[in-house]
Amino acid sequence: MRFSVRLSVVGVVFVTMFGVVGLRLWFIQVAEGPAIAQAASEQTWIQQSIAAPRGNIFDRNGTPLATSRVVPAVVVDRTFVQPEQRDGLLDHLSTLLSVDRATLEEMYEEAGVNGKFLVTTVSTELAHRVNESLDVLPGVEVAKVPERIYLTGPTLAHVMGHLGLPDAADLEADPDIDPSVRIGKLGVEKSYEEYLRGTPGQLEYRVRLGEIIATRPSVDPVQGSSLNLTIDLDLQELVEMALAEGIDLSNRVKEADRAAGEEVFHETERGAIVVLDAQNFEVLAAASYPNFDPQLFVAGIDTTTFAELNDAQAFNNLTTNGLYPPASTFKAITYTVIEEEDLPFPTEIEGIDAANRQVHCDGVLELPTLADGSPQEKFDWYNPGDLGWLGIHEALELSCNIFFWSAALGTYQAYRAPHPNETVIQDWSTELGYGSPTGIDLSSEAAGIIPTRELFEEWAAYQIENPDEPPRLDPSRLEIASPWLGGDLMDFAIGQGAFTATPMQVAVSYAALVNGGRVMEPRVVREIVSPDGVVTPVQAPVRHTVAISPETTRSLLADLGRVVASGTASKAFADFGPGLDNVGGKTGTGQSTATRDNHAWFVGVAPLDDPKYVVVVLIDEGGSGGRIAAPVGRHILQYIMGNEPTPIEAGEDAD
Amino acid sequence: MTVLARLREVGVVRKGNRSDRVLVCAILFLSALGLLMIYSATRSTGTFSMERQMIFVAAGLIVYAVFTNIDYREYRGIIPMIAAVIMILLLVVFLFEPVSDSGVGRAQRWIPLGFFNLQPSEFAKVAVILALAGLLAPSNRDEVPQRSPTWKKVGLAVLVVAVPATLIYRQPDLGTSLVFVFILLVLLFAAGATWRQMLTLIGVGVIGVVIVLRFGLLSDYQTDRLMCLVDPAVDPQDLCYQLAQSKRAIGSGQLFGKGLFQEDTLTHFEYVPEQQTDFIFTAVGEQFGLLGGLVVLTVFAVIVWRLLVIGANSRDRFGALIAVGTAAMIMFHVFVNIGMTVGIMPVTGLPLPFLSQGGSFYIAMALALGIANSVWLLRTPVPSENQLL
Repeated sequence: MRFSVRLSVVGVVFVTMFGVVGLRLWFIQVAEGPAIAQAASEQTWIQQSIAAPRGNIFDRNGTPLATSRVVPAVVVDRTFVQPEQRDGLLDHLSTLLSVDRATLEEMYEEAGVNGKFLVTTVSTELAHRVNESLDVLPGVEVAKVPERIYLTGPTLAHVMGHLGLPDAADLEADPDIDPSVRIGKLGVEKSYEEYLRGTPGQLEYRVRLGEIIATRPSVDPVQGSSLNLTIDLDLQELVEMALAEGIDLSNRVKEADRAAGEEVFHETERGAIVVLDAQNFEVLAAASYPNFDPQLFVAGIDTTTFAELNDAQAFNNLTTNGLYPPASTFKAITYTVIEEEDLPFPTEIEGIDAANRQVHCDGVLELPTLADGSPQEKFDWYNPGDLGWLGIHEALELSCNIFFWSAALGTYQAYRAPHPNETVIQDWSTELGYGSPTGIDLSSEAAGIIPTRELFEEWAAYQIENPDEPPRLDPSRLEIASPWLGGDLMDFAIGQGAFTATPMQVAVSYAALVNGGRVMEPRVVREIVSPDGVVTPVQAPVRHTVAISPETTRSLLADLGRVVASGTASKAFADFGPGLDNVGGKTGTGQSTATRDNHAWFVGVAPLDDPKYVVVVLIDEGGSGGRIAAPVGRHILQYIMGNEPTPIEAGEDAD
Repeated sequence: MTVLARLREVGVVRKGNRSDRVLVCAILFLSALGLLMIYSATRSTGTFSMERQMIFVAAGLIVYAVFTNIDYREYRGIIPMIAAVIMILLLVVFLFEPVSDSGVGRAQRWIPLGFFNLQPSEFAKVAVILALAGLLAPSNRDEVPQRSPTWKKVGLAVLVVAVPATLIYRQPDLGTSLVFVFILLVLLFAAGATWRQMLTLIGVGVIGVVIVLRFGLLSDYQTDRLMCLVDPAVDPQDLCYQLAQSKRAIGSGQLFGKGLFQEDTLTHFEYVPEQQTDFIFTAVGEQFGLLGGLVVLTVFAVIVWRLLVIGANSRDRFGALIAVGTAAMIMFHVFVNIGMTVGIMPVTGLPLPFLSQGGSFYIAMALALGIANSVWLLRTPVPSENQLL
């Protein structure tokens, strides 16, 4: 081959190479050009989401509880960060803002090329320091972002709830939410999240040399809807104060008891109070202690503080999640069932006059051997005194266990399964709201337990199958025909045994008892007000109405009045002031385990002539209901009824 | 003294011969366009980059003029010396710590001289062309003139390329190493290698590539860059981002481009990383469209065509092979660089001759073309210039 021919071959190869490149140019510039051009044009516009301020929250009188303010935040725009500047920038920011380096790196990578992310909100002072260092912080800017501000601190914490970054489950549930914007995690912040969140705005702009050179018409963020709560802030503050004083009182009494040689297990640390409107089921006050400051969560709570609060169960809303045996407060329900269902009393037991429904309250109830061969049981009532023969009215007034035991024993004996009435007391309880969530508009709620033969048999079967798990029933029960005994129903009738309920359930049941049987779902939000002012009332849904005769209601109200006038709460109510005859209540002392102090209960109702308020006080391991809880309830009822509340001092040591 | 004598001789020989004006015009056109494109890509930082490149262009043109006027046959005798100097410089590069410019240890390709970073690998390209041309062109020592190079010469040629290519590959700079391989293949073919020799070499090359891929001798970022070509969705955010942006810039230029210094361009917003160096063609493609791109391709084609013409008209085979090697070098840069910006070649870091920002590269290209022009000046004078074919 001649040299020139070889050069020609080389020339042909070269021309082919030019041709390949030229063809490819034609392909991406002409064939695909328009589509690529569109994408390129969009790319030079930076879309920024503008966080919407969350909706405001007001109490029922329009007092602001939570609003939003504008705070400085450090934002990193990766458009302006050269790859080689990345590490230096992250190091700098980590030190300057005290943010974990690894966390920062994760945020950075997640934002993507040309992405933008908010590192943290900062104090004004820190914002100044960041601004001064901007020349060593490429891509960093200090932006203004809305931030939640709680105006009342820890007051009403559990109803308000708190914020937190969405977790994987939240993001899966709603793919539209911005993973960097905090959402409600508890309380109304969570249950009304969709209303409070608002609509983020959109800003599109072009940046060159760190300056915005063009903007496109932007969408302004729309603040979330406001909530008007059912809560009365003044009442709430009084209730929280009273709760704290009640806990304090309990500890003072325990100290005295301990000095007197009595057995005391724990310091009193927890408690809950609910004030419910018995007519429309609006929650007027709901306090749970220990509490927390929701503001801690706004910019991210530090792990130490979180762990401390979590250990103290500060995030547990005891009004809806605290499960306790309702104890003698439940006698009002048993009372109603006795009246409405005419429960049979045992006929062959000494000290019970079945015909006249009278019981000899001398402290001990001795039973003959039970029909099914269960062991003979003897129930001790700790009251050593002999109260004499009591009818239903005095029995409630003095909280006589023997009376209500008798009714339960009679029921147990007369209505053995398969008799449809075996669960008559439990059925009433279910109807009145026990054993299932009340449906309140808060983020989570416990159901509680109503013990029945069915449930006990289920437990027994489970216990036999899983011998390694902690037992719920005494092992001796597994050996007899049925683990459900008469004593269980008797315990249930006085609110003890395996029975548990939340303070909110107790409040709901009393509200139904005194309003003629109407059971509704409690609400903490009255109205939702959209940003353009449209008010949507939140109606508490009516679940059902339990048939209770007006006579029974009247009788119960009168006897609740006797409790505070001359019964177990009379000492606590001694200095109630004018109108004592128009308030009523019931004390309760709940036993849980052998190593815990008793839980103190008081349920107040007012006014008796037209019941509107139900006040439930629970002091966890507080001691006697009449001694500890009743004075707290009295203090709150004094305020509600327009009396000057008198100091919370120990009442009578009574159930 | 001999140099001066030779210079005088050039003067004599030049009578009637002129510099290749088409070649000069093409170089000037591309250099001017390059300055404009560099400015368009770096306007946010002012005229600094462009002014710096202007100095290199000026220096390059001087180099071009000087080497045009040196008799290219002078080099044949000092090839071992040139090779030695280049080898030393390539080794010196390794004395400097790799400059970490993105956190990861990256390539060290230059010797920092303060005012200027000397990149010996660029000059090694020219040296390799000279060495191969010297080796493959018949010399007086060849007793029997042969139509094809002996196997021994083929082996030596491979060695001449392999040593610097390996050093440069270790920098690492895969692209430049591949330039050497391409020049070797083209020159062997032009020098009359038999089909068996060519096929043997290509076969060895293919086996080599297979070994490199099989035993993972490519560094991670090299493999990743290859993956971007196969499937850009693998990692469009980081390594492939540059490539994606490059294609987007060029594609959006469409037929006529968006116009010089237009606001609505990725060039203006500096969205293409390394645009003024390896990705300078994106500035052309976006602002001047397919039309501008084809003009640039055509001008490169003219340069390559002129170099082949010089090769065809050289007074000896040494000069011819210098011109053909230079053509191969330019061709490969253009093909790989523009191919990279449009997504048909991997990102290898080969700049675009005369357009890309970079001093060593510009001067080395000017040097190569200056030598080629000297071949043209000293071609056998003929009454009418015989064109290729």
